[in-house]
Amino acid sequence: MDKIVTIAINDLRVFLKDRSNIIFLTLVPLVMTFIIGYVNGGGFGGGSSQLRVDLLDNDNSELSAQFIASLKEANSSLMLCPADNDENDGCNLGDNARLTREQAEQRVKDGDTLALIEIPAGFGAAVESFQPVSLTYVSNEDFTAPGFIRQAVDAAALRVNGAIVAARVGTDVAGQIEGITLDAAGQAAFTQQVYDRAAGIWAANPVNVAYELTAQQESSTGEINLQSGLAQSVPGMGSMFVMFTVFGGMTLLVIERKQWTLQRLVSLPVSRAQLIAGKILSRFLLGILQFAVVIAMGVLMGVNLGSDPIAFILIVLTYTLSITALSFALGTQLQNEEQASGLSLLLSLALAPLGGAWWPLDIVPEFMRTIGHISPVAWAMDGFNQLAFFQGGLGDVLLPVGVLLAMSVVFFVVAVSRFKYE
Amino acid sequence: MTNLVEVRGLVKTFKRRDGTEVRAVRGINLDIAQGEVFSLLGPNGAGKTTTISMISGLLAPTQGDATIGGFSITKQPMQAKKLLGVVPQEIALYPTLTARQNLDFFGKMAGLGGKELAKSVDEVLDFIDLKDRQKDRIDTFSGGMKRRVNIGVGLLHKPQLVYMDEPTVGIDPQSRRRILDTVIQLRDEYRMTVLYTTHLMEEAQELSNRVGIIDHGEIIALGTVGDLIQQIGEEDRLIFSVGEQQIENDFLQQFEAIVGITKVTYQSRELNVAPGLEDSAELVIAKKSTGTMVAVRSGQVKDGEIVVYAKRGRKALPELLRIADDAGVNIFSVEVREPDLEAVFLHLTGRALRD
Ligand SMILES: Nc1ncnc2c1ncn2[C@@H]1O[C@H](COP(=O)(O)OP(=O)(O)O)[C@@H](O)[C@H]1O
Ligand SMILES: [Mg+2]
Repeated sequence: MDKIVTIAINDLRVFLKDRSNIIFLTLVPLVMTFIIGYVNGGGFGGGSSQLRVDLLDNDNSELSAQFIASLKEANSSLMLCPADNDENDGCNLGDNARLTREQAEQRVKDGDTLALIEIPAGFGAAVESFQPVSLTYVSNEDFTAPGFIRQAVDAAALRVNGAIVAARVGTDVAGQIEGITLDAAGQAAFTQQVYDRAAGIWAANPVNVAYELTAQQESSTGEINLQSGLAQSVPGMGSMFVMFTVFGGMTLLVIERKQWTLQRLVSLPVSRAQLIAGKILSRFLLGILQFAVVIAMGVLMGVNLGSDPIAFILIVLTYTLSITALSFALGTQLQNEEQASGLSLLLSLALAPLGGAWWPLDIVPEFMRTIGHISPVAWAMDGFNQLAFFQGGLGDVLLPVGVLLAMSVVFFVVAVSRFKYE
Repeated sequence: MTNLVEVRGLVKTFKRRDGTEVRAVRGINLDIAQGEVFSLLGPNGAGKTTTISMISGLLAPTQGDATIGGFSITKQPMQAKKLLGVVPQEIALYPTLTARQNLDFFGKMAGLGGKELAKSVDEVLDFIDLKDRQKDRIDTFSGGMKRRVNIGVGLLHKPQLVYMDEPTVGIDPQSRRRILDTVIQLRDEYRMTVLYTTHLMEEAQELSNRVGIIDHGEIIALGTVGDLIQQIGEEDRLIFSVGEQQIENDFLQQFEAIVGITKVTYQSRELNVAPGLEDSAELVIAKKSTGTMVAVRSGQVKDGEIVVYAKRGRKALPELLRIADDAGVNIFSVEVREPDLEAVFLHLTGRALRD
C-alpha cells in the first residue's frame, strides 16, 4: 500500500512540475466553463436565474404573491417573466414590457420560454372561499414526463392549499372552543374534530393546475436554454476536462516507458499489481483534482449544483473512476506519445458532447440521447442534472452511480488483462 | 567462489508487428561469481540489453531462467530483485525532478524508508559526488552527471549485485574515466558483484575479472582476458598501409617465409574521403577501417592493407620493411597491434567490434 501511494504522489509531483499541465488543469477549464456557461444561458445574471418562464398574474392578490414566492422556493433557477426581468433583458422581452396571453403562448411555441403559467383573476378570492380554481400551465414538454417546472408549480400549488387549510381549520375550531376548558375525553374529541375538518377541507383541494400543451415546434430555433448556464457547464466542463486530464495520463505512461523510468520501476522489488494500482491511483487523483478545480470555481460563483453534496461527490468519484479505467483499457497498448495524445483528444471530444457536457441532452433528439448514454459523461450529467435542476438527492443518482461503477469494473477487467511492459 | 548469478538456456524471441521474428538471445548460459566484475562484450544489437532485461525481471524469457542468490527471477522475482541493483542503458530518471527527489522516490520503491532512506541518499550523493547539486533538476545536468545519478539510483539499497548496461555511452572521456573507477571501487571497496556490458573492448579489458563475448545473441567466448587472447594464439598484428599499389602474391609469400610469421593477408577497399575535403588539398584525411585517421593522396580511391600475424611482431618489422623496399613497394604507415579482445572478436567473427 505504501508503495502504491508513493508512486501516485510521485506521479502527481511530476505532473505538477510541468507548467503547461498546471495551466491546462486550471486556467483552460475555467475559461471554457465560463464561455460554455455563457453560451448555454447567460450565467452572468446572478448565476441561477436561467429557467425562463412567463408568469401572468391576473389576480395580483396576496395569495397569488404567496404562490409565486412558493414557486421560486421550489426551484430557485426559475426566472419568472416579465416580473423578474433584469437589465440584460434576461426575459428577452425587448421593448415589450407587458405580456399578453397570446404573446406568451407564442413565446412558448417559439421556444423563447420553457412554459407559461397564468394565474386567473379572482384566484385569491376563490381559494379563500374554497371555490375550485385552475391555474393555467402551458408548455411544450412531453406531458407524461414530470418536467421540473411543472413539479415546481405543483409544489407551490400544494403549499398554497396547505396554508389555506391550516388557516381555515384554525379559525373554525377556535370559534368553537372559546372560553371552554376540556377534560381528557373532550380533548380527544377536539383533536378528532380538528383532524376531520382538516381532512374535509384538504379533499376539496381548491387550487388545481390545468395543464395545456402547445404543439412542439420541430424547427425550434435552438435557442431553448433548457438547463442553461453554469449549472450545466460546471459539471459539463468538469467532466470533459477530467477526460482530457485522465486520458492525458496515457501519454504519461508512454513517456515513462520511453524515458525508462517504468522499466526501472519494474526492476525494483515492486509487484506488478502495486505498480498498476499506483498508476491508477495517480490518474484517479489527477481527475479528482481537475474536477475539484472546476467545481470550486462554480461554488465560488454561487452556481446552484443542488443541495446534496454526498450525492454530488459520489457522482464525481464514480465518473472519474470510470474514465480512469477507460484510459487504462485503451492506453496500455499505445506505442508513442502521438498515438496517445491523438486518441486522448479524439475520445474526449467525442464523448463530451455525446454525453451532454457541452449542451444538455434534453435538446437533442431521442435517439441521440440514447446513443449518448454509451458515454460515461451522459450518466454523470444525468446525475448532476438531477441534483441541480430537479432538487434530487442520493436516491435519484443511484442509477447513474451504479452504471458508472459497472462501466469502471468492465474497463478495469479489460485493462488488467492487457497490461504489458514490453 | 560461489555463483551469485546462474543463467541457464536463456532465449528471447521478439515478434515483430509484421509477423517476423527477431531471435535477440539464442540460448545463453552464464555463471557470475560472487565479487567479480563480469563483462558482456559485444557489438550493438548483439543482445546485451535483452539479456540484462531478462535477468532483471523486465522481460519474460521465451525459454530458460536465471537465478540470483538462488532465487529464480521468473518464479521468485521479488526476492531476486531485492539483491539486485540495475543501472539501465538509458538515463532512467524523471527529468523534471531534482536529483534528490529521484533518489528518494526510487529508494522508497526499493523498500527503504525514514532515516535509513535519508542516510542512503546522502551516502549515494557523496559517492557520485553530486551533493552540492542535489536540489537541481536532472534536466539541468550534463550527460556525465546524469549518468552518475543513473548509477547512484541503482546503488541506493546497497545491493549485492549490480547490473550496468553500457554506463559510459555518450559521455566525455573524463566522465567515462570516473565511471570506470567507480566500477572498480564497487568491487574492491564495497565487495559488490558487477555485471557490466559494453561494446568497447578497452573497457572490458580494463575492468573485468572475466569476459563473455556476445554476438548475434550467443556467447561465443568466455573467460579471463588472458584466456581469451591465448585462445587465438597471442599473435601481434602488423598492419601495413600500401595505398593504391598493386600487390602481387609472391610479394606476400616473401613476407610469409620469415620466421615467426604465421599468416599474411591483403585487403584492398574503396576509400571514403572525409566529406568536404574531396578536392581541396594534396593530402586529405580518410578514416580507416580500424577507426584511425590517415592521410592519403588527393584523388586516391583505393586503400590497400597488408595484415601480418606474428608471434613477436616488433622483431620481424625491420626485415619486413627491407623486403618491401627491395620489391619497390611503398609502405605509407605501419601499425603494430598487440593481441587484445578486438583481435579475439575479429578472429572469431571475421568482423571488427565497432562495425
Ligand atoms: N522490443 C523489441 N522488439 C523487437 N526487436 C528487439 C526488441 N528489443 C531488441 N530487439 C532486437 O534484438 C536485438 C538485440 O538488441 P539489444 O539486446 O538491445 O542489443 P544490445 O544491447 O547488445 O545493443 C537487436 O537486433 C534488436 O533490434
Ligand atoms: Mg544495449
